[in-house]
Amino acid sequence: MRNLNKLSRFFIVGPLIALVLAVILITFTTDRFMTAQNLMNVSLQVSAVAIAAIGGTMVILTGGIDLSPGSSVALTTCVLAVLVKLMGLPLPLGILVVLVMGAAMGAVNGVLTAYGRIPTFIVTLATLSVYRGLAFLITEGTPIFNISPGLDRVFYDRLFGIPLPFYYVMVLYVMTYVFLRHTSLGRAIYAVGGNESAARLSGIQVKRVRLAAFVLAGFTASISGVLLAARLNSGSPNYGVGLELQAIAAAVIGGASLSGGIGNIVYTLFGALTVAVVQNGLNLNAVPAAWQNITLGLIIVLAVSLDMWRADLGRGLSRIFSFQRSEEKQDRTTSD
Amino acid sequence: MQNQPPPLWQLVDLSKAFPGVQALDTVSLSIERGQIHALLGENGSGKTTLAKCLAGAHHPDSGQMLLEGAPVTLEHPLDAVAHGVATIYQEFSLVPSLTVAENMFLGRPLKKRAGLVDWEQMRRQTTSTLQELAIQIDPDAVVRQLSVAEQQLIEIAKAMSLESSLLIMDEPTAALGLAETRRLHELIRRLATQGKAILYISHRLDEVFQIADRVTVLKDGRRVDTRAIGELQMNDVVRMMIGVDIEQHYPKEANSRPEVCLQVEDLSTQNGVNGVSFDIRVGEVFGLGGMVGAGRTEIAKALYGLDRPETGTVRLYGKPVRFSTPTEAIAAGVGLVPENRKADGLFFNFEGPPNITISRLKGLLRGGFLSLGEERRIGGEYVRKLSITPIALERTVQFLSGGNQQKVVIARWLYSQAKLLILDEPTQGVDIGAKLEVYRVINELTRQGISILLISSDYPELLAMSDRIAVVRDGSILQVAAAGELSEYELLTIASGAVSK
Repeated sequence: MRNLNKLSRFFIVGPLIALVLAVILITFTTDRFMTAQNLMNVSLQVSAVAIAAIGGTMVILTGGIDLSPGSSVALTTCVLAVLVKLMGLPLPLGILVVLVMGAAMGAVNGVLTAYGRIPTFIVTLATLSVYRGLAFLITEGTPIFNISPGLDRVFYDRLFGIPLPFYYVMVLYVMTYVFLRHTSLGRAIYAVGGNESAARLSGIQVKRVRLAAFVLAGFTASISGVLLAARLNSGSPNYGVGLELQAIAAAVIGGASLSGGIGNIVYTLFGALTVAVVQNGLNLNAVPAAWQNITLGLIIVLAVSLDMWRADLGRGLSRIFSFQRSEEKQDRTTSD
Repeated sequence: MQNQPPPLWQLVDLSKAFPGVQALDTVSLSIERGQIHALLGENGSGKTTLAKCLAGAHHPDSGQMLLEGAPVTLEHPLDAVAHGVATIYQEFSLVPSLTVAENMFLGRPLKKRAGLVDWEQMRRQTTSTLQELAIQIDPDAVVRQLSVAEQQLIEIAKAMSLESSLLIMDEPTAALGLAETRRLHELIRRLATQGKAILYISHRLDEVFQIADRVTVLKDGRRVDTRAIGELQMNDVVRMMIGVDIEQHYPKEANSRPEVCLQVEDLSTQNGVNGVSFDIRVGEVFGLGGMVGAGRTEIAKALYGLDRPETGTVRLYGKPVRFSTPTEAIAAGVGLVPENRKADGLFFNFEGPPNITISRLKGLLRGGFLSLGEERRIGGEYVRKLSITPIALERTVQFLSGGNQQKVVIARWLYSQAKLLILDEPTQGVDIGAKLEVYRVINELTRQGISILLISSDYPELLAMSDRIAVVRDGSILQVAAAGELSEYELLTIASGAVSK
């Protein structure tokens, strides 16, 4: 039993080990990695992925998958640009509108999957196409630059010397941690992903839970979109390409099980950091973009296969464990 | 004697054990050509195991199977098919979106010389097979659009098109109405006159007496007897099925109070409940007896908001209720321990405490947030109360034994303060010790004034633990009696249809 705890702890700490390994590896390949400037860059870069990965993790926890955040991000930046630059809406109001729109985009995914009973993969693959299409439609395909001078500050301002995105990430992750661990809805998300039938028979309103997870995913995607728009002070239908894959990679590297019900949001953050560090390392070593995509794909496959092996390992352990338990029982009866 | 040809199939001393049960214990049996051989026994007596050995789905631990006197080993269901055994299970093996002809040749399409599928030939052969069996169904009909009975007939036709000599049917009439059953029986008789052997497994004694030539009764994995149907009366068979039970102690407490908890009047659903009326008193264990598929689980589903009632009223503590979701039923104080606790009851991604609190999370709220400390405390409390293993507090519930898992699910409803608890086969697949634990928990619950609707196919258990019992057949309640006034013999007689209504 002690061995079992040790092993399971190893697998929980796994994401952290992956991150440390990536850091060590990259430090050895280039001396430009471990500089204050570069680390700052990495932490700024990671913010968009890390925040989108929050929603991605929640959908994965319910046993679904969200392929749409990259396109939601693109549409968010474009709508923000159109509202603020072309229609003259005040910036704070513009941001508020796109955040609500993000939740609505998530709601569309959620309604179609939960109430329309279409698999999440198909629905979000469709909206991946639709949302980016809408982004092209409203911008006529051209990026909109210099949205608003105030927008820069959302991304580049500092508080106590630390850039704001750091705080956004921290606050959102702490909130999500509390939400998943200490609210009924958070618990229901795990329950639905763990056993949908048992969840229904235990009185959980499964459809509403699925819908809620997607609304939150759409919401975090739009926050991610606002950050991206602020970083470049522009809106473009070409932003956020491949973000969905990075978000899924973050969740899976963080140990979230694609079959649902298992995962920890804190480790998703480690997963997102791992993705960002690997990307940064490849950039610093001047690896072409094509190879970066290939690397990300390989990392996802590796992380998912670890997830599968973990299931096998768990079964093996449970056999050993039940054997030990019967021994324990004997011990107890003899000592009684 | 010596000159007589050997029987088609002869089973000699077949034994098969599963973890915890001896499913078959040195069973011997002969199956003759042209005979309809009925296999009878209570739930869990080994009928299906025996059939699966013949179908190649199970491998006997010991014993021999002789086909026309020669020993054969069936490694795989396809081996059985190759040896002329066709099996029709309760679940159909037809593909609903394909046509009748396509289904008939599923997995072994006829091909033209060029390697293309020969549709023409397949359709022609299907037509002739159906004609041979006097089944009037269009070979081009899509299976989904056929009635259940028609699908059953197609299933048989498909089995016969494999040129089988033995046809095994497991509860073939479970889903059929009276007229359809008659049609099926005609077909079976016709097959027998063509020289096929038929092994007919059924709970329904009335049917067996209408159709079978010979009857074999199994009890706890052993063969009680094999007799020609003419030598037997129905009550002989019932007595053989019950056998002499080893006296088992059931720690029954009578905690029923005069007040009524649940009142059901004329309840019907589309899913097989036909106008049932009964009431359950506070602290009473109300048993539903009947065969598998009689409609007991369906009654539970209607009460739990899973199946929508078409007619009738349900009153809980005098108040009319109508649940359209389990959420509403739970809020009103109804709980369900489902038959399949792994698939429908437990969260394997959770440890014991979250499994217990899931139906009443608001009990954990402290200042709007779930208190995990409180959850651990509650978990510990129920672990003590129901003597669940303390391992449940630390590990996910997949590591627990069946009995402990079951108690975790029951604890869930204790914590959610259910007033009426539906227990669907609560002791299925748990060992004797754990069964006694479950009985003890039932007493504890009723002492607290919780009412229990007990569904169990273990008749001695049902009779001993219930205060009153309703016998269910075809979705209707045939009789309600105090448990003490009903013998296992009577229960089985009524439930199996050995007495006509």
